[in-house]
Amino acid sequence: MPTRREFVLALGAVVATGRRAGAQQGGTIPGATMAGDGYVPVRLPPKAGATSKLTDLERDAVERRLSCPCPCTLDVFTCRTSMPCGFSPRMHADVVSLVNGGYTANEITAAFEQAYGEKILMAPRAEGFNWVGWLAPFAAVGGGAVVVSALIRRWGRRAAEHRTASPVPIEATDDELARLEAAVRGEDR
Amino acid sequence: MILIGELSLWVALLMATWSATVSFAGGRMGRADLVASGERATYATFAFVLLSSIGLWSALLSSDFSLRYVASYTSANLPAVYKFSAFWGGQQGSMLFWCLILALYAAIALYANRRRNRELMPYVTGTLAIVQIFFLATTAFGANPYARLDWIPPDGTGLNPQLQNPGMATHPPMLYLGYVATAIPFAFAIGALVSRRLDAEWLGAVRRWSLVSWLFLTIGITLGMWWAYVELGWGGYWAWDPVENASLLPWLTGTAFLHSIMIQEKRGMLRKWNVTLVVSTFLLSILGTFITRSGVIESVHSFAQSPVGSWFAGFLVVAIAVTAYLVTTRLKDLEARAELESMVSREAAFLYNNVVLVGIAFSVLWGTLFPIISEAVRGSKITVGPPFFNTVNIPLGLLLLALTGVGPLIAWRRASIANLKRQFAVPAAGGVTLGVALFALGMRDGYALVSYTLAGFVATTIVQEFVKGVGARRRMHREAVPLAFVRLVARNRRRYGGYIVHLGVVVLFAAFAGLAFKKEYDLALAPGGTFTAVDPYNRTWTFTSQGVSRYEELNRQVTAVVLEAKHGSAPPTLIKSEKRQHVDSRGVPTFEPSTEVGILESLRQDVYLVLHGVTGEETAEVRISFNPLVWWVWYGGMIMALGGLIVMWPQATRAGARRAEGGYVVTLQPQRAERERVDAGV
Repeated sequence: MPTRREFVLALGAVVATGRRAGAQQGGTIPGATMAGDGYVPVRLPPKAGATSKLTDLERDAVERRLSCPCPCTLDVFTCRTSMPCGFSPRMHADVVSLVNGGYTANEITAAFEQAYGEKILMAPRAEGFNWVGWLAPFAAVGGGAVVVSALIRRWGRRAAEHRTASPVPIEATDDELARLEAAVRGEDR
Repeated sequence: MILIGELSLWVALLMATWSATVSFAGGRMGRADLVASGERATYATFAFVLLSSIGLWSALLSSDFSLRYVASYTSANLPAVYKFSAFWGGQQGSMLFWCLILALYAAIALYANRRRNRELMPYVTGTLAIVQIFFLATTAFGANPYARLDWIPPDGTGLNPQLQNPGMATHPPMLYLGYVATAIPFAFAIGALVSRRLDAEWLGAVRRWSLVSWLFLTIGITLGMWWAYVELGWGGYWAWDPVENASLLPWLTGTAFLHSIMIQEKRGMLRKWNVTLVVSTFLLSILGTFITRSGVIESVHSFAQSPVGSWFAGFLVVAIAVTAYLVTTRLKDLEARAELESMVSREAAFLYNNVVLVGIAFSVLWGTLFPIISEAVRGSKITVGPPFFNTVNIPLGLLLLALTGVGPLIAWRRASIANLKRQFAVPAAGGVTLGVALFALGMRDGYALVSYTLAGFVATTIVQEFVKGVGARRRMHREAVPLAFVRLVARNRRRYGGYIVHLGVVVLFAAFAGLAFKKEYDLALAPGGTFTAVDPYNRTWTFTSQGVSRYEELNRQVTAVVLEAKHGSAPPTLIKSEKRQHVDSRGVPTFEPSTEVGILESLRQDVYLVLHGVTGEETAEVRISFNPLVWWVWYGGMIMALGGLIVMWPQATRAGARRAEGGYVVTLQPQRAERERVDAGV
């Protein structure tokens, strides 16, 4: 586990050197084949008496969970069916071969993850440090709502005190009053 | 012309430097002559940046391949419109384009404030000049579009085929116009902070420019979605790509600001928060530009990795540090002048709306940057794609939609129970009725059901507000309904323009929810072959292949498949999809083949055809998708833009009319008011 200092330094280094988070190489044009092929064949021997356990729709769903390594940032299914690059058709062939070999959706995903690393998944697994990624947005909104609620309550109490202290109703907005006060004091010239 | 253009870039840099120096000095020393000189230098900067841009345009249109930029992004056979749009198609040109817009905006802002906000203007001018210096210096030293090649190639590489689309000719300029407009409110915020004039005065100018930015970002984002849909061929319009996300970030914080500014205007509250939002919106625009240009995050849109990224990172750090210093040293000046009274008030609803908008902005930024954070912490790379963003943002988006309906129904300051019952009864009934009806009709997708229920609720609140307003006008002025409607909107553009924006949001959410019912088919069709498919409305379609054709067009070789599409008793329609191989003027292929989708459009759904490839001689491998309600995305964007236009359209200042409608007029500064009337020619 890195220390906080190491984390900050590492983050600073990543930003300062402009290093990419991903293994983006070659062109940035969708559909462009990557120079220096990063394709990793994912082949496993068929299971004994193997028959396909997945329908075509379920197979497509597996491909939607896998990220295409080309710069398209799409999943394998979407990439191969719209802007096929040098990767997605070959990855599709690997998926088909694993499906025909009798592997389940989770086994196929795990095989790709083992070959390419966690980066091949379209979203991080909900485990370990990744929980920070998944929960931070909800924590931010929830925390923000709690803070705002507490502030409103506090302001409400103060406003009630002011109301009791000022028995004469005033027909002007607070901003108008502030401007009036500034004009009277000669500050707003 | 090229030489003049190049020299103009350097002169503009000098002018901006002069403007920054003398403006700040003039403001600090109270020297009107220096302030005036700084402003003249800003106008001169605009003139020279324009001259520099004309130089690059002339090189692009005349195919002067001695310039690296022209050779890299155009070819001799590129249509003139795309030669022109290549100006923003690459790193260097788009930097110059950014400078041009900033110089134009700065000149307009200075001219519009030549007699107003005079105490702020030296600092506003100086801040804008500093931002301009940064962009001009980055362009001149880091991404110079006038860089020459050692030899002159016979032809250029050409423009990426996917950028040869009307959407790409218009989408980037709109986004840039939106991004750059955030610099003006930022400059006013800095000016107000430096001069400590943090009253309501600076808000007037800031609000108008924030609306300009919001409007252009809305149009730019909508055009970007349309371009992705019709051009990229993956059947969607939003992929949560980092660069798409970057455009959404300032839009979200800008929207939050446009709501919270109302609380400051009406109650003198949220001063710190509003300054923070204005500054954040600008910084997020810069961050977006950093993401696009640094290559630090993998994106389909990214320009090639370049040193420009570190320039932006440096600017971002300095801007954050300066702003943080100014805000923390002026906290006393930013104290609220009133306090929020009740949890059940419009102010509170706006605050929660701000929490959700900023929360969504945070989640988008967090998801975009999380791969870097994860790599720094764990050392392993991960991908954060649509599954993450959809899981996180759909619930938050629905919460926002609910607040869109709640806000206008609650009274300012404090709402009573009776008021709530009266206001909420009809809209709640409208939403629930729609939800129950859709459930009864067989809709079972949870998110879609919630989305349509909330959409029904918000739509009813909007209709209710218009009905009440029109009814009141009819009773008071005995006007016909259309006239009452027009005058209602015209006399209170901010309020009713805002409702029209909300209506656009409702339409957008309804369209987004429609995609839950998308249906896709992958198939291979030989000539004369037929395929039968069922659409999301359970109607049966028959597609018959008319065969594959191959031909050449202006700058491309085309392989096309045509299908005859038929359903029910409707007459058959032809739908065509193409694979294009672009070539240069010598017939040499220039880019990877691209796909041109075929779309059979209707309000109900799009039939979307993509040609994957051709096997054998004439068997076409295609994908047919039924995409429900996609057109409503474009309509939603257009309605939002229309509402934004109504909100920002200048309201005629008729003292008599105001008196009649408002009941009283308080003139705190008669001399200034008189001067403004003279300026306005009243």
